[in-house]
Amino acid sequence: MDLNYTAEDEAFRQRVREWFATHKPTGESLQDRKAWQRTMYEAGYVGMGWPKEYGGQDARPMEQAIVAEEMALANAPGAINGLALGLLGPTLIVHGTDAQKQRYVPKMLTAEEIWCQLYSEPDAGSDLASLKTAAERGGGDWVVNGQKVWTSLAPYADYGMLLARTDPSAPKHKGISYFILDMHSPGVEVRPLKQMTGHSEFAEVFFNNVTIPAENIIGEEGQGWELAQTTLGFERGGNTLARVTRHQANLRRLTEICRTLSRDGVPALEDPLVRQRLGRMIVEVEVLRYAGYRILGKLEKGQRPGAESSVDKLYYSELDKRHQELVQEILGPYGQLERGLPDEMALGGSGVRGQDSSWNFNFLWSRAGTIYAGSSEIQKNIIGERVLKLPREPRADRQPTGA
Amino acid sequence: MDFDFSQEQVMLRNLAREFFSRESTPRIVRQQMEDATGYTDSTWRQLADMGVLGLVSDPDMGMIEQALVLDEMGRNAYVGPYFATAVLAASALKAAGDTALLPKIAGGEVKATVAVLEDAISWQPSAVQMRAVASGTSYALNGTKRFVPWAHVADKILVVARTDDGTTVFVVERDAAGLTITPNLEMDRTNKTATLTFENVNADTVLGQVNKGWDVIGPMLQRAAIAASAEMLGAMRRCMEMSVEYAKVRHQFGQPIGMFQAIKHACAEMLLEVENSHGAVYYAAWAMDAGSPDAALAASVAKAYVGDSSRKVCGSAIQVHGGIGFTWEYDLHLYFKRAKHLEALYGDADFHREQALRLMLDQPAQQRQPVLV
Repeated sequence: MDLNYTAEDEAFRQRVREWFATHKPTGESLQDRKAWQRTMYEAGYVGMGWPKEYGGQDARPMEQAIVAEEMALANAPGAINGLALGLLGPTLIVHGTDAQKQRYVPKMLTAEEIWCQLYSEPDAGSDLASLKTAAERGGGDWVVNGQKVWTSLAPYADYGMLLARTDPSAPKHKGISYFILDMHSPGVEVRPLKQMTGHSEFAEVFFNNVTIPAENIIGEEGQGWELAQTTLGFERGGNTLARVTRHQANLRRLTEICRTLSRDGVPALEDPLVRQRLGRMIVEVEVLRYAGYRILGKLEKGQRPGAESSVDKLYYSELDKRHQELVQEILGPYGQLERGLPDEMALGGSGVRGQDSSWNFNFLWSRAGTIYAGSSEIQKNIIGERVLKLPREPRADRQPTGA
Repeated sequence: MDFDFSQEQVMLRNLAREFFSRESTPRIVRQQMEDATGYTDSTWRQLADMGVLGLVSDPDMGMIEQALVLDEMGRNAYVGPYFATAVLAASALKAAGDTALLPKIAGGEVKATVAVLEDAISWQPSAVQMRAVASGTSYALNGTKRFVPWAHVADKILVVARTDDGTTVFVVERDAAGLTITPNLEMDRTNKTATLTFENVNADTVLGQVNKGWDVIGPMLQRAAIAASAEMLGAMRRCMEMSVEYAKVRHQFGQPIGMFQAIKHACAEMLLEVENSHGAVYYAAWAMDAGSPDAALAASVAKAYVGDSSRKVCGSAIQVHGGIGFTWEYDLHLYFKRAKHLEALYGDADFHREQALRLMLDQPAQQRQPVLV
């Protein structure tokens, strides 16, 4: 066991820290966000884990984790093309044709083209494989009709990765194909969805006889589900330590406020109940930190984290809800103000999506974390069935496994 | 960055696992529970031969190794004075720079324990009220110590008492005149504790320095917190394993109960707690061995987190088992109670949450400095 950072990694961290201290985005518009990604890319901080031949650096998981942590510390906005960088680009790198890779991959890194992920539908959330958006062969090309929902970045996206049903007669998972979709195609309509945060992070996307050229299929017809499931060696779990950094920064700010915020006649920080709850949150965040080291250690050795990464998403998303509930408990009505919060009570931070902007935004946003990227209930099913090997439950859409 | 154990550590763990699964079967555990002495010299000698009694004093070994052994011990609810001797007494002796008793502990010749708690539930030096009054070159001890583990078999009893200008740790013999050992009957029958009353007990052996008792007890408590967490982790693992197995074989309504989401999710939540607790225990052990600046924080994080986790996992295990989990005959309660016993000692979760907060408040951002207990 060795949980120290090497001298080289510490030196790398210092360089990264200095860079983010001296480089800031120009603003919050879409153009500003694209320019910011480009700036970070040119400095070597975007697509780090991508193979060099595709514009990445074959960077170690450790280096990627350090950059993510330092970005969190600096409260720097993330790369706008996050889905492309984290999932869609790597999918193309592994499964795309040479022509597809050459055409699309470089512009993902520079944010010249923004990508969205066209998966979920109103009737296909956790049960994604039941999706109904249809792609029918018409000549060589495909014609798409249907609807997607919870599509982030859709209003800005130039391209999307689409899962659509190409063979309605095949068993559920086998009749799906994977496509590159030009979001500017005729027949594509994007309608922003407003979340309870008041922002429209996501959108609905409607397809009305949209044509997809034949060469835009990824892999073979009917392979879509399999391709979308493949873990691509660009493992998740490398961002856990960045989450820890954010939690710690939030807690420091909250604790500062507790020195002067009066509750029932004493500063909150002298209230034993508040102290217990703060202590509990400190403990839970430290536990997340140790879990982050475990996962990073495995990734560094080229191993796939096992049970520890199954619980990672479940733990960090539920932890965030508890953290935000704690903030609301301590700050009381102050925590809910969108306007009118005195500066000395504010969280501070930019208003950019995904960054710590305000107590009330973080609280509302935390409610989504246990739903997207596999809800907590789905995670527990996965842990129970795949890790603990408990028998799968009978479902109406598949044969029971029996006693 | 590597959280995996070394080959030697894995070998030690496997050795301990094999040993305890052979020498601490539920049948043996139940026998020892009923027996007043509670352990056998032959197992104690085997523990000595394995090198695990001397882990504190062995320069090649550390807290990680001891945590691995305690993990397996907890999983098998081993009945014997290991924690009292090889964790508590050994770490107190080491903190005091002892060279005389530690080899005898390592060799299996001496069993020992440490008496800290009195009437009040407090792990702070201010709670030590027992008086040690100097008389010539020795001291007279008067007072009561509670919850002293395995005192009835300890050759040496380390006791912390109040002297003129602080606390001091003394070493007394079990059969010292004026010392009465009254055994308790614990909910956790695998642990035998006692109340010790001292009436003018003569103590001429000081451990460490006079009035600097907490220089000995403080480090001991930090190690005890990690050690207890490791043993609780083992007990939790056993409870989870039994629950998952039961969920696969117990049928109701025509199917294994593990097929029902309520049971499946309960088991999944157990796994989350076990995995997180593993991280917490072994990070704390590593931090102590590596002299990491956050070692004190990590020890409190482990005890606080594992305290709550074991409560959740062991409790949920009984629930998953239904009625049979509630019987004396079924083994689950052995591990449930073992974890519960340690939950209440060496600082409960509330105590360690407060410790964690204090440690964080005393430190500037992004740096970790230890604060002495």
